[in-house]
Amino acid sequence: MKRKAQIQMLETMAVLLIFFILIVLGIVFYTNILKGNIGIQKEEVMQLNAIEISQRASSLPELQCSEENIVSENCIDLLKLQSASEIIPLNEVFYYDSLLFSKINITEVYPDNSRSWVLYNHTLEEFSNKIVTNIPISLFDPVTNKNSFGVMSVELFSR
Amino acid sequence: MRLQKKSQTEIIGLAIVVILLVIGMAFVIRFMIDKEPVDYKKQFTQAEIASNMINTLLKTTSQDCSGLSMTELLQDCAQSQGIFCQNGEGSCIYAQNTAQTIFTNTLELWKIDYEFKVFKQEENLIFTLGSRCPASKKSKTFPIPTSSGTLFIKLDVCG
Repeated sequence: MKRKAQIQMLETMAVLLIFFILIVLGIVFYTNILKGNIGIQKEEVMQLNAIEISQRASSLPELQCSEENIVSENCIDLLKLQSASEIIPLNEVFYYDSLLFSKINITEVYPDNSRSWVLYNHTLEEFSNKIVTNIPISLFDPVTNKNSFGVMSVELFSR
Repeated sequence: MRLQKKSQTEIIGLAIVVILLVIGMAFVIRFMIDKEPVDYKKQFTQAEIASNMINTLLKTTSQDCSGLSMTELLQDCAQSQGIFCQNGEGSCIYAQNTAQTIFTNTLELWKIDYEFKVFKQEENLIFTLGSRCPASKKSKTFPIPTSSGTLFIKLDVCG
């Protein structure tokens, strides 16, 4: 009788052991999935940030073309760009709120593909992820009244 | 009678284990299916590129064609074809070569497949660049009025 009780006790303990092993496995699995989901959410948030920053950068009032107070969409004034590329790097803290850790570069593609301006350069030395967004944009020279084809390249960094 | 009751209890225990396993599997499958992150950036970039590329291209001033814009060159190409640029090329060839230069230095460099079409009606194609998108695409069409009807500029960004 005593032996039977011992066997039953052993059986109960074995069942409990398996039960706890299953629970631990479940917790490990759930944690891994949660970690994966957090990674996915982080990636999505970063993508949304990249979109937001590229839209902000392409519509900065400091750069926009305007004629008699009417703003032209998708256009950068070259004279404003030249001035802004000197002033913005001196005021990076002010622009950090809207442009975060990013690098904004504007390059002329046609007709002269050798001209380039770095508008904002607040990068991270060590980063885990970088998203690059290229936006075709018109570069208007108000002196010659000519439009060039340019590309605004926005690189967003994250730790 | 006592033996029958015990076996009934064991069957109930087994049923509970099976139900727990099914619920667990449902969770696993649900989390595995929802794994892929939404590619917001790709969706935005495709739409933005299709629109901005045509918009910027049409505004661009030619390098050596009497300071005419691409819109004016394409209009002449669809109408009289009377304009000849400084390099001796007609408006159609000049516009096509300029568009090709721009696409080579932008979309092709970024490894984005595209199809650029200039046409009066679908059957009256003036020129085309790139290759047909095999699957999904983001499209943008710009109509340009000419004396001989409406000219359409269409860009499909594949992906």
